[in-house]
This record gives sequence, C-alpha cells and structure tokens, in this order.
Amino acid sequence: MQQKDIESAHRKFLKQEARSRSWVLSTQLLLFIAFIGLWELLARTNTINSLIFSYPSKVVTEFWSRLMDGSLLPHVGMTVWETIVGFLLGTLLGTLIAAVIWWSPFLSRVLEPYLVIANSMPKVALGPVFIVSFGPGLFSVIAMGCAISVIITTINIYTSFKEVNPNYVKVVQTLGGSKRQIFSMVILPSTIPTILATLKVNVGLSWVGVIVGEFLVSQQGLGYLIIYGFQVFNFTLVMMSLAIIAVVATLMYQGVAYLERRLTSQFK
Amino acid sequence: MNQTPSTPAKIELGHVTHLYLSATRAFMAVRDINLRVEEGEFICLVGPSGCGKTTLLSIMAGLERPTAGKVLIDGNPVSGTSRQVGYMLQQDYLFNWRSIEDNVFLGLDIQGLRTKENEAYALHLLEEMELIDVRKSSPMQLSGGMRQRVALVRTLACQPDVLLLDEPFSALDYQTKLKLEDLIFTTLRRHKKTAVLVTHDLSESIAMGDRVYVLSRNPGRINSEVHIPAHIRNAIPFDARNQDGFQDLFHHVWKEMEVVSDAAKGH
Repeated sequence: MQQKDIESAHRKFLKQEARSRSWVLSTQLLLFIAFIGLWELLARTNTINSLIFSYPSKVVTEFWSRLMDGSLLPHVGMTVWETIVGFLLGTLLGTLIAAVIWWSPFLSRVLEPYLVIANSMPKVALGPVFIVSFGPGLFSVIAMGCAISVIITTINIYTSFKEVNPNYVKVVQTLGGSKRQIFSMVILPSTIPTILATLKVNVGLSWVGVIVGEFLVSQQGLGYLIIYGFQVFNFTLVMMSLAIIAVVATLMYQGVAYLERRLTSQFK
Repeated sequence: MNQTPSTPAKIELGHVTHLYLSATRAFMAVRDINLRVEEGEFICLVGPSGCGKTTLLSIMAGLERPTAGKVLIDGNPVSGTSRQVGYMLQQDYLFNWRSIEDNVFLGLDIQGLRTKENEAYALHLLEEMELIDVRKSSPMQLSGGMRQRVALVRTLACQPDVLLLDEPFSALDYQTKLKLEDLIFTTLRRHKKTAVLVTHDLSESIAMGDRVYVLSRNPGRINSEVHIPAHIRNAIPFDARNQDGFQDLFHHVWKEMEVVSDAAKGH
C-alpha cells in the first residue's frame, strides 16, 4: 500500500467519523426542538392543561422578566452555594471518617453494622431532625445536602482504601514507614481517583438533598421557588425552576468531571 | 554448622518456626530453620511453591515476627523493619504519582534523611543504572526492566547492608532478566552488600549465589545446602552459566528439588 493510499483511507475514515458525529448532534437537537414544539402546540391547542403544564414560551417570558427584575439570581445563587458546600462537606467528612476507620480495624468492625443501617436509611427522612437541631434555614439545607452523601462516601472510600494493592504498602513498610506515612504516601494518593469520582456522584446526590431541604424549610432557593409556585398554583414558575436546575446541575457535574480528568491524568 | 565463630554472622536464624493463624486453621509455614549468612555473602533460597521462602524473607526484613526462634542481624535481634535491610519485591511497585527521582527518594523521605548528600548518592546510583535521563519522567513511560532497575535504586538509596530479593526477575522477559541479573550481581558485589535471593529458577540461583538452600514444604524446612565452587561463584551470572561444572550442579540441585517435590506429593 502506498503512503498516498493510507492517507486517503485515513481521510475517508475521518470524514465518516465527522458525518456520524453530526448525525448524532442533529438528531439530538431535533429531539429537543420537537419536544419543546410539541409541548407548546399541545398547550396552545388545549390538548393538555396549560394551567398545570404551562408552555415553553410562557416559561421563557417568566424567566426573562424575573431575570430582569433581579429576583431570580439570588435564588439560583443560594441553591448553587448550598449544593457546593453540601457536596464538598459530604465528601470531606466521608473521607475523614473513612480514614479514621481505616486507621483502627477495631473501630471499623464495631461501626460496620451502623454504617449499613445509616446507608439504608433514606436521609431525607431526617429532615425534621435537622430542622429542629440546626434551625429553619441555611444550615438545615446544607446539612441535608451533606447527609445524603456522607455515608455512601465513607463506605466507597473506605472500600477503596482497603483495595490498595498491599504490595505498595509493603514497599513503604520495608523502607521503615510508619502507619501515618503509609496513609499519606500510599493510601491517600492512590485513592485520589476514587475520591474525585465520588465527588462527581456526590454533586448529583447533594442536589437532591438541597432541593428537598429547601422544600421543607427556606425563604430562598430553587427548591423554595418550586414549592412556592406549587402553593400559588403558578406552574410556569415550577417549570422554569426545573429547567434552571437541569442546566445548572449539568454544568456543575461537567465542571467536576473536567476537574477529575485534569487531576487524574497522571494516574492512568 | 555447629561451630560458633567469634564474629556474629550478618544474618542468623536460629530455630525459626512460623505459624499463620486464621479462623479455620493454624498453618505452619516454616519449621525449625537454622541458617547463617556471612557479611558480603549472596545466598539463594529455592524450593517448590508454598515452602515458606517469602515468609523467611518477611521475617528477616522484620515485617513479621516469627512464632518461635530468634532472628539476628549483626548479632542484634530483629524487632521490626530497619534501614539496614532493603527489600525488593517481585514487581517494581513504583508510585505512578511520583516522578522517577521522587520514587527513588521515597525511602529518604520516609526516614527523614532527604539531605543534599543522600539525594546526590541516589542520583549517582540512577546514573550507574543508566537511568539519569529519565529522572523527571513518570514510571508509566518506562519499560518493565527499567522500572525494576528504578526499584533497585530506590532500595539501594537508603544504603542498606543487607538486600532481600523476592523473585525480582520473575515478571520480566528472559533477555531483560539475564541483563538485570548481571547488573544486580555486579552492583551488590561492588557495594559489598549481603544478599538473600528467593527464586524458583534453579539456574538463576546457581549463577548468582555463593550458596543455595533447597527448601521442602509442608512445613517449610531446609532440605539441603549446595556450595557453589569459586569459579562459578565469581563469574557474572551470564558467564557463570557457561562455566565447567554448571550443568552438573544444575542436575544436582534439580535432583534435590525432585526429592522435595516427591516428598510433598507423598504427604
């Protein structure tokens, strides 16, 4: 085969790849437009109840007017802030607890059944407890966002601590390393990819916790907007809040995923 | 073996027995092991799998305390790992999150000895192994043989007197293995280290060792001891394989291995 033929084969392959990529993208776009269009059409022709389902153009108008009068952004900011604090706290606390039980095999055996129970427990059921202990406000919501991820983080990270190849530990031991050095030089650095992956999962979990927390108690935030819209029967407001959550949660997830790729590139 | 020399041996094991205990059983890994390794000697332990070779190394390294018996290094009882003893594993186990030179400095970091002087010594070793050009690279960019050489430097950087080698060539291809054998042999000779090599490769044990211990299993015991004549002992491993008498020795050790394998089967 000539060099020329190889190059042309490669060009052909690239062209095909580009074509299939653009097909996927245009289908995705079409699906979105069809969904929005159908929704608008069905609501306008009164096939579906526009009072309950609202419709896209009304949602956009609502969004625009609330954005312009400055009443929307504080809500978004509040929820984003609570979510970030919630998932960072959840991951940090979970890692810390995992480190403590890694340190003491006795403690890990003692705590095992409690972790299982705490993990099976639906954390949002603890809402009332948080409200009475942290007061009806920001702290309760953050506690909820954190609680929902902390136990599963502990379990996942502790498991990955234990799964570190014992031979790496042996290397440090034969060089005279203490338990503390084993942790800081082997266990922690080799599980950083797992911790970052957990961070990604926890973003999603914290959104659940924060939104539910805001349902229960809050004067501000997207969860509050949803409940408020529901109570005054303004479903345009509800739909708008849902759309914002979809966009912001996706952005946040992608942000953490990007961070994960950047930080773990040296491990692969 | 009964005479007691005035100077203490570099490594001495006296009546060492080790049990592994679990919920279901108590397993005797090694029983009543007695051996002496003199300063600067290179000894090899061979035997069927499960004969407690690695257990013995772990005990010498201070990673495990024997259930019974004494372990002395320079006449002092072993109580935990020490910087006097270096250990090389079957694979390199380099840390991917550290560069090559940071991997080499690992022992110095752990022991709090990362001085300019010790760093310079470690880098000098890297240079000896022709690895100085990759000092800033990541372990992932290196071949298996290079990585195992880095692992050797990591062990030597702490300047141990005793080197325990747990099948360090077993994960390498044959050509790399032969080259690394020569390299480790000459490096240890030059730096006058005492070494204990565990291997399942009989010709490797004869080519590298001054003495070869053949172990039997269930429980692990010393079955016999083979002294390697000076002309094979002093040749570098690659040449040693072509020395007169090498084949005879190989057959001798092979026979010993047959004996211990058959004995184990008879159990």
